[in-house]
Formats: sequence, structure tokens, C-alpha cells
Amino acid sequence: MLAYIVKRILSLIPVLLVITIATFALIHIMPGDPSAAFLGLEATQADVDALNQTMGFDHPIVEQYVNWVGGLFRGDLGDSLFLHQPVGQAIAEHMGPTLSLAIVAQAIALLLAIPLGIIAAYKRDSALDQLLRGFSLIGMAVPGFLLALFLMLFVGVKLKWLPIAGYAPLADGIWQHYRYLILPGISLGTIQAALIMRMTRSSVLEVLHLNFIKTVRSKGLRETKVLLKHALRNAFIPILTVIGQTFGTLVTGAVIIETIFNIPGIGQLVINSIERRDFTVIQGVVLFVTLLYVLINLIVDLLYGAVDPRVRLDRK
Amino acid sequence: MKKWRTGLSLSAIAALAFTVACGNNNSSNAGGSASSPASGSPAASQASAASYKDDLKVAVTAQPPTLDSATTASALALDIAGNIFETLFTLNENYEPTPVLAESYTKSDDGLTYTIKLRQGVKFHNGKELTSDDVVASMNRWLVTSSRAKALLEGANFSALDAGTVELKLAKPNPDVLVLLSAQAAFPAIFPKEVIDSAPAEGITDYIGTGPYKLQEWKQDQYIHLVRNEDYVSPEGEPSGFAGKKEAATPNLYYYFVPDNATRIAGVKSGEYDIADSIPTENFEELSADSGVNLSSYPGGTLTAFLNSSEGAFKNEKLRQAAVAALNADDILLASFANPDLYKLDPGYMNPSQTQWASTAGSEYYNQNDQEKAKQLLQEAGYNGEKIVLLTTPDYSEMYAATLVIQEELKQVGFNVDVLSSDFPTFLKTKDEHSKWNLMVTSNGYQLIPPQLLAVTQSWVGLDDAQVKASVATISSATDSAAAKAEWDKLQGYLYEHAYSAVIGHYNEVVATSKKVEGFSQFVGPVVWNAKVAK
Repeated sequence: MLAYIVKRILSLIPVLLVITIATFALIHIMPGDPSAAFLGLEATQADVDALNQTMGFDHPIVEQYVNWVGGLFRGDLGDSLFLHQPVGQAIAEHMGPTLSLAIVAQAIALLLAIPLGIIAAYKRDSALDQLLRGFSLIGMAVPGFLLALFLMLFVGVKLKWLPIAGYAPLADGIWQHYRYLILPGISLGTIQAALIMRMTRSSVLEVLHLNFIKTVRSKGLRETKVLLKHALRNAFIPILTVIGQTFGTLVTGAVIIETIFNIPGIGQLVINSIERRDFTVIQGVVLFVTLLYVLINLIVDLLYGAVDPRVRLDRK
Repeated sequence: MKKWRTGLSLSAIAALAFTVACGNNNSSNAGGSASSPASGSPAASQASAASYKDDLKVAVTAQPPTLDSATTASALALDIAGNIFETLFTLNENYEPTPVLAESYTKSDDGLTYTIKLRQGVKFHNGKELTSDDVVASMNRWLVTSSRAKALLEGANFSALDAGTVELKLAKPNPDVLVLLSAQAAFPAIFPKEVIDSAPAEGITDYIGTGPYKLQEWKQDQYIHLVRNEDYVSPEGEPSGFAGKKEAATPNLYYYFVPDNATRIAGVKSGEYDIADSIPTENFEELSADSGVNLSSYPGGTLTAFLNSSEGAFKNEKLRQAAVAALNADDILLASFANPDLYKLDPGYMNPSQTQWASTAGSEYYNQNDQEKAKQLLQEAGYNGEKIVLLTTPDYSEMYAATLVIQEELKQVGFNVDVLSSDFPTFLKTKDEHSKWNLMVTSNGYQLIPPQLLAVTQSWVGLDDAQVKASVATISSATDSAAAKAEWDKLQGYLYEHAYSAVIGHYNEVVATSKKVEGFSQFVGPVVWNAKVAK
């Protein structure tokens, strides 16, 4: 197991190398200049040049790249011109809201998707199954931003039950923290729920046809136990894969939902940085997000073994 | 992108928004109003504590790049910074320079020396008393950091006469010097001298001023939180424009960065925010139907077409004239601002309500909508179907919409037109590559004096014309305002005649406030320091 983990982590190195070179190249191909964006429309060329010089943006690209990668080895992602803070700190600050939102959204998704998916599979082809499948299709088809605006309008503006936008850190109290996350959580979670529900349904359905289910049923086990203990557990690997993927997407920043609900997470950081041409932040975030995504996939792979003892990762 | 939205369209205007204002108002409103003690008295403030909220929440479009006013043209930055910092003079509602940190001034007969007496007893947020050393350090820094100051007050210098008096020496007389000190894109905030001395190259980050609010916290990408400066010594006088009494009526002022238009609008409707700026004009009607929301609009600036006379097809004057002749300002403005109440047809480059400079010179070239004339000029120019490129960015919807209408109008008279559209930073970059485009439309905040106009600034689109330069110099050094005005009339007419640029129209900016907000006012930008929110 340990050898497997080490191997997986080592295999990250070329991935990250390619990612750093690709982002660095893309950013520098992109027209626009961080100093010009920072100083504004009416700044003179001399002002822009002076700032470029101070910040080292006028050095050759290869030199800038080598300096940046050198910094990475010392754990230094560079400083943001716009935010007046180290990139590492900026990412850490923006990670909190994103993680909180991801957890809320994922909880909503799982609470909806798994039970409904099992019910749909169990009541296969019934009216209920059709209805649930219809809902899941709608869930996947409706864009998140539409749902977000809809929720904002009805729950926030008309009913005034929940705040329409913003974010409160956990330090302000648990309820304060979560009331800002409910609407964005639903907007994000519903789409994920649709995806996970479909996967749960088809996966459970497949298992329900297998002989061992007939066996446990014939020995008189209660249906709930058949479903939850035997069917779900055996059907869980593909479900887990989808959960891992959706969580990876959530945790790496939900750009649109974060923008609409004004949640200062990773997604918003990326968008703002691109608009500001804040190169160091863009590079840092892309690297961080890549790393995170790969790590989540690794964790999911390790969980396969926990869910299904037949899976042995360290064997060829 | 929203960040620069205001930066561009409001620029000077809201630049004024810099708070600061209040003056000893001894100049303008002199006869009328003495200071009214009502709301400022202890009894009144106790009453207000009971019935008003402690927080005022303003939703703005983006996080400002900095609050160091001298280094930025971002209107948003200046709106916020105006609560923290003050200047020697500011503008009252009649656009007249009015003292704030200054108490009075005298001008020498040759117009080269201004002796400015400072108001006594003013303290910085760090407790230090304001002296002439702070003013000299701040003003001399501003003279070299602000590109406008560099261009328009070249060779000027401040020095201290004694602890309470400073002297400004000019290299040449300039009738608008107090206007320049009062209101400008990059307003000259007064910092403590130590802050100036230790400022890093990329700008000051130690935001210590003398204003009615202090910076409490700047949460990156979330909000700026200002708290009332309890030791604030306000100038006297009725509030007028940025001048007059400043009360810091609400203890906490929050500026939330809310880039999404729909979110700002929903927020002011639901009560999440008390004030929301930059309301898109297409939402004007929706919001005016809402009983809980007040909408106020104020003159924002001009939508102007700039023709690239330095390179490419539009080096040919006849072609430029043909393009200008084809423009139908009505259609362009309707496409850009959606509601006829929110724009105005007027050929002037300056604010039509600013009587000193409002001009209709060149109106025969304005809104011509004359296709026959355009075709005729095209023929005379010997146009061979060369591609005309219109540069624009969808980040500013009004500029983008205007560009698409102009493309159609130019096509109809026989131009071969392409639109080059990109995000705002790319647009900025391309703007300086004159070989890549021929015409662009931008929304520009009003300037206070003609020499500040981008339409006469060479670095803007490469306009290089000796006559324009000479006129600007004449206006800058004119000794009386009538002569300056006459020269400006001439220059505005000249710009139109040679089709270097053409104003398309004037637009309003729209701000939405909750009906519970009292004491909020609009000058050339929002003024919030006397605003409070009923519980």
C-alpha cells in the first residue's frame, strides 16, 4: 500500500512539470500586462515600465520561469501584486470558503442522491422511478447559474429567508456561516445530485440482478438490509468514483456560483486574477488546483480498497 | 472586468468622489447657511443611535487596486478612499474649489505663488496633528506620481513657510490650479510625512488620513470595512458636493465587492446591501418599479468615438469625416443605454452642467446621420475598400453595443468594417498598437478642465496635431476665463471639423439605494459620509 502511494506521488512530478510549463506559457502568450491593469487606463507607459521593472516582469520569460520554479522548491509561490500578499496566503484564505461550500454542496448532493438512487433502482420502471429519472435529467440539464438566480430571487428577494450573497467565516458562528452557504450549496449540489443519483440507480440495479442478492433474499433477509448492506456496498465503487470527481470539481472552485453568490473562494480568485492579469496568482492557483485534483483521485483510489476488499492497489 | 468598469467610465467624475470634501465654505455659500448643529449635536446622535443601523453596506463592482489615490484613476478606489483621506481643497456642488484641510489662501499678483494657510487642530488617524511638513511631502509626491499633475503643473513645487502655512510655486501661471488641486482622477490626499517617506515603489499601503472614516480591515476580494473616526474635526458649512460638514453618520461603513450585476440588484432589493453602484441601465425600469428601492442617476460622462489619425486608413482626413458623417447618435445611444432618460444628445466634450466649459461648437458635425454626405466623402477620399477595424471590449457593455451599431452604420455607407473585440486588459494593450485598429468608442468620465480630456491627449490614441497642442497650451495659460472658454470653443470645433473624435452623447450613472437610507447624496459620485440607514 505504502509503495503504491509513493509511486502515485512520484508520478505526479512530470504531471506538475507539464502543468507549470503550460500555465506559464499560456499566461505569457495572453495579451495584457499586469502593471497596466494595476495602474489603470490613464497610466503613462513610463509608470507601467517602472512597475514592470520593480516587479521583475521585464525579465526574459525563461528566467522568470526558473525563478518561479526555484521559489516553489522553497515553498514560495511568489507575491501577488494586486492583493499585496503572498500567493500561498491568498490561496489559503480563499480555500476556506470553497471548502465549506464544497462540503455543504456535497452533503446536499449525497443526501438527495443516494436514497433516491436506491429507491429508483428498487422501484425500477415504476411511476416513481420515471419521476425521479425525469428530475435527474432536469437537474443535469438546468445550468447551475439559472437555478442560482432562481433561488436568489425567490428565497432571498421575495421570501427574505436567506441572504442572497456574501460569506461569513466560521468564526462568526455556525448558523451565520451556513446560512450564506445554503443557497449556493443547493445550486451546486442539485446538479451533482442528479449525476450521483443516476450512477447510484444504474449501479444498484446491476447488482440487484446478481445471484448473491437472490441468495440473501432467499435466506429471508429484510429488504432494507438487502439493499443497504449487500446491494449498495457492492455497487459503491462506481458511485464513489463519481463522488470523487464531483467533489474534485467542487473543491477546486465553482467559478460561476461563487461569482453569483459572491463567495470569496478559489473560483472567484481565479477569475479576478485573470481579469487583473495577476500572473503569480494564476500560476499558483492552477498548480494548487492540479495538485488537489490529483490528490482527491488518489484518495478515491485508496478508498476503493476500503469499500471493496477485493481491490488490491499494490498488486499488478 | 467590472473593476475597470468604473475605472474607465467614471474616471474623473468619481475621482471627485473622493471624499474629502467639506470646506470651510467661506468662499461660495458664504451668505447663506451657517452650519446647522441639528444632526451633529450629542442629543441628535443619541437619538440616531436608537433608530439607525450601525452598519452601512455598499455593494461596488470590484475590489479597487489600491486606496492610494495619487496612483490610480479607478473611480471605485477614489470613492472609497474619499472617506479616509482629505485634500487641501475640494469641489462644492457648483464645481467651485472649496477649502477642506486648507483654511484660506492668497494668490500673488503674477499668479505664480499661492500661499495656503492650513486649518488648525486637524489630526491624522494615528493621532498626529497635521502640519505643513505632511502637506508638503504629500503634495510634492502627488506632483510627480499623478500623470495629470505631471502634465498640467510641470515644474510646480510646494514648500513650508511655517507649521501652519504652505506655499505653492508654479513654473507658469495656470488659472485652473485650484480646480486641479480640488478634484482630479488621482486626487492629492494628504498623508503623514512618515508614510510618504517609507512608501514602497508600487504605492502607499499604510492608509492613514484625516478623513471622517478610518480603515479598519481590508479583506481581500471580500470587503473594505471603515469605522468612524471619533476624533474627526469636520469643516463647517452645509454639505454641498464634496464640501461642507461631514458627520460620519454611520459608525461602520462596508464596501462589499460584488462583481455580478444581478447579485448587486438582488442584494439591494432584499436589504442585504443598502447602496448598490453601477446599476446596468437595462435594469433601470425593473428597479424603479420596486417600492423599496430609490434610484438616483447622475451625469456620468461622454460616450465618444475616437478615430485613429496616426496610422492606417483614418490618417486620411476625408475618410474620418465620412465615418463621422455616417453616425446616428440616437441609435447608438439607445443601443448602449437602453433608456432615453439615461442619456442625452449634446455635442460637448465637457459636462453640460458645468457652465464654464459647456460648449456646442462643432454641432454641425454632431449626430449628422447623413449617408449621402458620407458616401460623397468616401468617393472624394478614393476609398478602395480597405478594412476598417473597430476596437472594443464586451467588458463594457455600452462600448460594445455602440461599436456594433457603428459597424452597421459604417457598412451602410460603404465602409468595409470589422470588429476586434477582446477582454479589457487585452483591449488596453491593443489600444496602444495603432496599426491594429481605426476607431474605438469609449465611455469616459467627465473632466473638469479641457486640457485633461483624453480627446486632446496624445498618448490616448496618438493624436498628433500642432493646432490641438497650441490650443491646449493657450487654455492652460489663459489669464481670464472668457479667453480660455473662447479658445476651448475653437478647439472643440476643430476636433469635430477634422474628425479626430466625435462625442456620441452623454450618459448617466445609476445608483440604487434602499428607501431606508437617509442623508445619501450624489454629486459626481456617491457621497456616503452623511448617510444613515433607518432600522
